[in-house]
Amino acid sequence: MKATPTPGADRAGSRAPLERIVGLVLVVAFVAVSVFVSLPRGTPATDALVKEAGGTAPSDHQQAPSPAERLRRQCGVILAAGLTLIIYSFLYRDNALFKIVENLYVGIGLGYGAIMTWYLSLKPEVVDPFLQAADRGDLLDAVRLRSVPILLGCMLVTRISKRFSWPSRYAYALMIGWGAGIGIPITVHTFVLKQLEAAIRPIGLQGLAEAWSSAGMFSTAFWSALAAPAGVLLILVGTVSVLYYFFFSVERGPLGRAVSKIGVIFLMISFGASFGYTVMGRISLLIDRVQFLLTVWLGVAR
Amino acid sequence: MAAAEKGTPPTAAEVRRLHAVRRMIFLLLAVAVVAAVIVPFKLPGKPSSLARTVFEDLESLPQGSSVLLSFDFDPTAKGELEPMGIALLRHCFARNLHPVVMTFWQSGVALHKTMVERTAAEYGKVSGRDFVFLGFKPGDVNLILNMGESITGAFDKDYYGRPTQGMPALAGLNSLRTLSYAVCLAAGMTTEVWIAYGGDRFGFPLAAGCTAVIAPDLFPYLQSGQLRGLLGGLRGAADYELLVGTPGEATRGMRPQSVAHLFILGLIALANAEVFAAFLKKRRRF
Repeated sequence: MKATPTPGADRAGSRAPLERIVGLVLVVAFVAVSVFVSLPRGTPATDALVKEAGGTAPSDHQQAPSPAERLRRQCGVILAAGLTLIIYSFLYRDNALFKIVENLYVGIGLGYGAIMTWYLSLKPEVVDPFLQAADRGDLLDAVRLRSVPILLGCMLVTRISKRFSWPSRYAYALMIGWGAGIGIPITVHTFVLKQLEAAIRPIGLQGLAEAWSSAGMFSTAFWSALAAPAGVLLILVGTVSVLYYFFFSVERGPLGRAVSKIGVIFLMISFGASFGYTVMGRISLLIDRVQFLLTVWLGVAR
Repeated sequence: MAAAEKGTPPTAAEVRRLHAVRRMIFLLLAVAVVAAVIVPFKLPGKPSSLARTVFEDLESLPQGSSVLLSFDFDPTAKGELEPMGIALLRHCFARNLHPVVMTFWQSGVALHKTMVERTAAEYGKVSGRDFVFLGFKPGDVNLILNMGESITGAFDKDYYGRPTQGMPALAGLNSLRTLSYAVCLAAGMTTEVWIAYGGDRFGFPLAAGCTAVIAPDLFPYLQSGQLRGLLGGLRGAADYELLVGTPGEATRGMRPQSVAHLFILGLIALANAEVFAAFLKKRRRF
């Protein structure tokens, strides 16, 4: 298959040497700035991190860290700052350093996950109860309570072999049977019945009528009392119209199309709210990193 | 884009323009956030009613009550949920409540341990007496069901390996049925698990804090009363910091957050204006 040339590939080729020079200058600048900000002056960077979080720095409670400890912390901060900047370099263009750090992140994540699984799951739940049993009674307890779950766990591992994978079916059958038995009634109760109950609550106009008669239509009390029934109505209309929008079995007349359109409006508002929250979440992550760079690494903000 | 409208691939000039615009947006956003972090200015802060509910619920608990905090996140959600967790811990310690901290995310244990120990040190609180850090235990829903029968049975030891049986901080807390209050801080869908298998089944009041991305999914549970309150994203964390009276990282983050949101609103308005202008131009042509 013939490769399609990317638009602007020639220009990109001519820009490459300049970009390399700029990249090299940025790396040198990063090293220089890191060395400069690491020189001993005032509050250590790691304490600034704690104080930034509104907390009390470790140095306020404990004795000052040793020079080796301080050096270790500073190296950690510089490494974290460098990795952060390299990850953000992707916003300009995909590059070799980004690829390295991306793979490093995946590798560290997997390695960390494996270690944590060993120390927090396998060792305390599978190995220690047998090897570190205080007496014969504890050992018998471990055998009685843990043998079957461990055997079932081992049966799941047989999935790696095509020929001997059949024992895993028994373990899966137990998991699925147990999961369905426990999960179905709870799911129906929590995610269907409770939500239905919330959608069909009485509108409750009594409070509104009382506010009208006591304070009149143009009072704050009236408008506050109006909020609850209006909310209930809004939820009812939204639920019905959105459900109707996803109801495909009947040809829609003019009224059906109108209800369906209302459903679309509710859906659009919901998508907009989700998008707004997503933007807020992503910006929050950016702010966290910027605060780290400016406060902990550079020390220019408090 | 004219070319895109016609269904033809974009030209090299158009691709370059798109790349340039994209980079310009990233650069301007970075400048806006950096400037807002460096330059201090005050914003009027009014905590939301959802955060206020959580605060007032904790305020109404008698001293010495146990509050379960399920920190179900790892360092990837640190920016949003760490300030929230610290504010909750500070509130508990200031009111002499006994936070019982656990997690379903094993990759977050080190972060949670640091948060708990650091905040406890601020208030001079002692592990086992004033708070318990249970750490991680595998099991997911099974663990919650087990805790519904017995907390000390589900966690026979705390994170440091000390037996939980007879711990002063767990006095009076036999199972989830006797729990005074629980808050789940989640970066995933653990809150729904806590609602279904915890709050609904064992009847304890449950509130949630979450990353902004999943907050819209949790609003239906507020309407149904399955959640008492909700702290959504950095804004939720800032609200709680203001209510507790310890403004910290989240409160400071509101400055760049607001500036960034204004910037994005401006971009949305600009893009819509361009589309509207193109629409008018097309209409005039016919």
